[in-house]
Amino acid sequence: MRKFFGTSVVAISAAAMLALAGCGSGRDGDSDSGGEAAKGFPANSLIGVALPAKTSENWVLAGDLFTNGLKEAGFQADVQYAGASTTVADQQAQITAMTTKGAKVIVIGATDAAQLSTQVAAAHAAGVKVIAYDRLITNTPDLDYYVAFDNFKVGQLQGQALLDGMKAKKPNGPYNIELFSGSPDDNNAGVFFNGAMSVLKPEIDKGTVVVASKQTDVKQTAIQGWKAEGAQARMDQLLTSTYGSKELDGVLSPNDTLARAILTSVKGAGKPTPVVTGQDSEVESVKSIVAGEQYMTINKDTRNLVKETINMVKALQAGNTPQVNDTKSYNNGSKVVDTYLLPPVAVTKANAAEAYANDPKLAPLTK
Amino acid sequence: MSRLKDLQKNLFGGTTSNARQFGMIFTLVAIVVLFQFLTDGLTLRSDNLIALFQQNSYILILAIGMLMVIVAGHIDLSVGSVAAFAGILVAKSMSDWSLPWPVAILFGLAIGAIIGAWQGFWVAYIGVPAFIVTLAGMLLFRGGNQYIGNANTIPVPEGFREIGSGFLPEFGPNTGYNNATLLLGLAAAVAVVWREIQARKTRRAMDADPAPMWISILRMAIMVGVIAFASLRFASGRVGTSFPISGIILLVLVIAYSFYTRNTAGGRHIYAVGGNSRAAELSGVKLKRVNFFVMMNMSVLAALAGMIFVARSAASGPQDGNGWELDAIAAVFIGGAAVSGGIGTISGSIVGGLVMAVLNNGLQLMGVGTDRVQIIKGLVLLLAVAIDVYNKKQGRFSIIGSLMRPFRRDDSAPPASPPNAEREPAKAAVSG
Amino acid sequence: MSDVPILLEMRSITKEFPGVKALSDVNLVVRAGEIHAICGENGAGKSTLMKVLSGVYPYGTYDGQIIYQGAETRFSDIRASENAGIVIIHQELALIPGMSIAENIFLGNEPRKRGAIDWTAANRMALDLMARVGLEEDPDTLIKDIGVGKQQLVEIAKAFAKDVKLLILDEPTAALNEADSRHLLDLLRGFRSRGITSIMISHKLNEIEAIADQITILRDGRTVETLDVRADGVDEDRIVRGMVGRELSSRFPDHTPKIGEVFFEVRDWNVRHPISAERQVCKNESFVVRRGEIVGFAGLMGAGRTELAMSVFGRSYGVYESGTIIKDGKEIVLKSVADAIDHGLAYVSEDRKAIGLNLLDDIKSSTVAAKLSKISHRGVLDEVEEYKAAEAYRKELRTKAPTVDESVSKLSGGNQQKVVLAKWMFTDPDLLILDEPTRGIDVGAKYEIYGIIQRLADQGKGVVVISSELPELIGLCDRIYTVFEGAITGEIARADATPENLMKQMTSTKKMLTR
Repeated sequence: MRKFFGTSVVAISAAAMLALAGCGSGRDGDSDSGGEAAKGFPANSLIGVALPAKTSENWVLAGDLFTNGLKEAGFQADVQYAGASTTVADQQAQITAMTTKGAKVIVIGATDAAQLSTQVAAAHAAGVKVIAYDRLITNTPDLDYYVAFDNFKVGQLQGQALLDGMKAKKPNGPYNIELFSGSPDDNNAGVFFNGAMSVLKPEIDKGTVVVASKQTDVKQTAIQGWKAEGAQARMDQLLTSTYGSKELDGVLSPNDTLARAILTSVKGAGKPTPVVTGQDSEVESVKSIVAGEQYMTINKDTRNLVKETINMVKALQAGNTPQVNDTKSYNNGSKVVDTYLLPPVAVTKANAAEAYANDPKLAPLTK
Repeated sequence: MSRLKDLQKNLFGGTTSNARQFGMIFTLVAIVVLFQFLTDGLTLRSDNLIALFQQNSYILILAIGMLMVIVAGHIDLSVGSVAAFAGILVAKSMSDWSLPWPVAILFGLAIGAIIGAWQGFWVAYIGVPAFIVTLAGMLLFRGGNQYIGNANTIPVPEGFREIGSGFLPEFGPNTGYNNATLLLGLAAAVAVVWREIQARKTRRAMDADPAPMWISILRMAIMVGVIAFASLRFASGRVGTSFPISGIILLVLVIAYSFYTRNTAGGRHIYAVGGNSRAAELSGVKLKRVNFFVMMNMSVLAALAGMIFVARSAASGPQDGNGWELDAIAAVFIGGAAVSGGIGTISGSIVGGLVMAVLNNGLQLMGVGTDRVQIIKGLVLLLAVAIDVYNKKQGRFSIIGSLMRPFRRDDSAPPASPPNAEREPAKAAVSG
Repeated sequence: MSDVPILLEMRSITKEFPGVKALSDVNLVVRAGEIHAICGENGAGKSTLMKVLSGVYPYGTYDGQIIYQGAETRFSDIRASENAGIVIIHQELALIPGMSIAENIFLGNEPRKRGAIDWTAANRMALDLMARVGLEEDPDTLIKDIGVGKQQLVEIAKAFAKDVKLLILDEPTAALNEADSRHLLDLLRGFRSRGITSIMISHKLNEIEAIADQITILRDGRTVETLDVRADGVDEDRIVRGMVGRELSSRFPDHTPKIGEVFFEVRDWNVRHPISAERQVCKNESFVVRRGEIVGFAGLMGAGRTELAMSVFGRSYGVYESGTIIKDGKEIVLKSVADAIDHGLAYVSEDRKAIGLNLLDDIKSSTVAAKLSKISHRGVLDEVEEYKAAEAYRKELRTKAPTVDESVSKLSGGNQQKVVLAKWMFTDPDLLILDEPTRGIDVGAKYEIYGIIQRLADQGKGVVVISSELPELIGLCDRIYTVFEGAITGEIARADATPENLMKQMTSTKKMLTR
């Protein structure tokens, strides 16, 4: 028994010593994290980009643009998509892995903007700059920048285009319009609607524009889940209840899918085509605009968004403060995030060729 | 030669060790070393180890419950949905009804217990196959999650987040390490040595020869070495980080459930039911009670896993729990459990889960995309089980195997005992 | 008879399984157009012989020759023998309950037209075949909706669909009631008149006597004799003598019973079948067991012995209807197996592998499985006590295994049985019910198990032995009950027990008491 203890003590301490030696130094301090952006970092550093699952073309395009753009700028790029089913957990693990690998900046297109604060905090603590791309990451004080299109502006452009389009068709009002908004569980839907109403409200108050159904509240106009069939059903119902004899001059639609559904409904009722707005520059809608049916759409060019994001990374690398144009409006629940907003572009038949000149897919449609 | 045999037989798990378990631990070590090399040392760096545990603790907790479900001969497909459902209710309870977070955790466990009782009722007392009950549960509770949360994300307060993203506290003198983690490591090392001594005592009490002395010492040295290495790694993370709280919860559960499954009558009964439910019943095991318990226990653990994930994500979202059941089931099967039930260990499942976790993590560190990671994980699962099946088949064709053939359970031609009519009623009773 | 051409001849068939010779040098001659019965005790080799004939055991796995229709045949599988017109109908019917009569008749043999099944033709042919076996049903009726007797007829119709020349029926009337049995036997007579040859395996000697032309008797894997029923004036007693006539001495250890008071009694026990509630599997059965006594239960397969034992053992079989159990003068109610164990009952099942043991377990956990409470303290198992208990039984029963850590799946049948006995001895029972305790076990191990049973009785326990081997019952038991169709038909003291009178009681409802 004694021999057993003797030998074991020796063996165990040897093992422990070995482990100790293998471990080497103690822990890293907290010192190099945060606050000292001015130093910049080497030009060939690793930049992480974590994007949602490849569910829409937009994200695939953004990923390709990031990979190429960052490489051209001399960085090492690590662009990752979340898996199709385990999105949030994947993205969390990817952000953590990027931090471990020593990325200097991590760009995040969040799958769920509220479920990344732990990983963002860990990245921040390790001295990584975090940029939220397109979707604002909420409930974290550790987010550094936010890059996105100006969604309020999208609404404003839609409202203005609606007025312009109706005036072009019929010089004098009053104009009869109907309002549609997006899914109630999507924060952006409300932003679009408010933007549009900021333009339309004064006209409605003046009486030059009339919402004949009197449905002007965002709850009444909402289409659950951005579903085309929902929009079509609501339009059908509005046409029978309100537009038996009246003319419908215009419809505010928050995006292209709903716009086309609305047009289908109007056509089905045998009414003349009203002015209908849209957003996203979907292929079918661009065709429709060129054919003179849908009046307008919004072009949010992913290329520009990626370019601006890479510019931010470049500025951080050089040790400069990236350019931002909004330091007041975007509160994520923990802090006001410095934001760079890109202006969306309204596209009608008149400027379609010009607006899509750089888009290899849409440009041919405008010729 | 005989030393080598001794080593193989005794190094891991003492007398009840089996080649499979040894193989799994070996695979885990090999994968860790491989990725340590491929990622230039990132794999075993403190921050990565800590992240690895935090990221996977909830899957490993599910694997514990899943092991028991699978050993009893069932399956649970609903764990992800149950986790998401409990998660959203707990988040709501704190944001809408302002329940204090410790109460909310109890509330979450109670939800798990109620859901588990529901599923256990159908499986054990009505006799609906668990596959169907939990497939229904998968839809039911996923739908419940979306209905209650309205597909929104609900944030949870700071205190609650500790169970998912917290660490052991900092205290005591500045040693350059996290003292709490060091103490934990020391306790683990002492426990290992104590267990070895106990095991030797037990062997002697059985009038059996304990494993050779040098094996015991070697085994302890390896275990203590691993513990020392791990605790130093965990203790030397960035200040503020150390061994994660979720890892502590996992450790406690692993120890408690290992003890339960190995050393208690209740645990034995689960294996008996999975191995031969009719024989278990005729030995006085209360089948229904065992089936009810494993299903209920699974849902409680799923609720806990859901809460840990929510805590780590700082919010409960509509995507929570997607695909978790598959990860947990894969961990259990890679860890050596039998599809037909009756075989498997908690520690094996944890090792199986860690193999998947290290694989996932290593590939991510190498910048491999999720698409390819999924392909590789799928192949690893298939290979791990295929090798096991292949080995068993090999055994069957070996000399010993063919000598034993008449006594195998699946043999169709036992001498002088053809299938007979009197056996029929017994069978009918099982199915009815 | 000898002028009738020989249809089938099996010459010196020998079939060995590892360690056991199931058939040795068996000869069988079947003439065209006769009904040939094969008799023998359980394990005599009847089913094995038929499996050799039908290609279940393909050519090359047995020794000997099969000459069929004048030429030697070498069947590689069942399909080959079916193509030659040999069709076997097993006692467990191979019908699919959810499919219709017509679908079942043509399963695997569907009439086709341009690749698709021609159901019009199938139904027409089905009606024709059904008429030949006297089955009046709509061919679209599902199998599960008709009775067992009619299902049997569907099986035979199925055989006719394959152009059968030699029909083999394995215990065809075992599951049938009297009327259905009579109909079936009439049908077989009809086939004979149309020149179809049948081989029939049956335990019901009265039926054999009534219908068979020739009887071949097998015992211990050998042909004993072939009797010509008409010429030799065969009756039941003659058949029984052929079946059981073997040496009984020296197969059992010497034993002087020390029989005490009656301590266990079952009164008016009635149980119904778990699924078909109209079937009563225990009809008003009553029996008693004394301390130190070994009580035998004799009966044919399907007589309901196992059902009786299991229903007494915590209602682990069937639906309890009425009846009382009295132990040590007090009535006890056993609603579950756990109750039964707590009251000192133990049941060693007939099928070790299917319901007796968890083959994934090792010897030590199997030994303690039925009474874990004995080795645990507040729910926590004591490994040392478990080991010691298992080791003690291993030594006492002389189980051949290197250690108690050995998996039970690696043990031989006899040693597995010892583990099962240990498992139940560990529960300290007052009454042990042993169901076919020596089935599938070689002679040496049987002797040891008899010794164990006798020792248990000498300790003052009551032992009930259910066995299909009459010599075993006669050699081992102090008293034997006979069971027939769910009822106890007789009670015979050891001194009066002979295979002949037991067999008689096992095959009729007439009561005979020789106490």
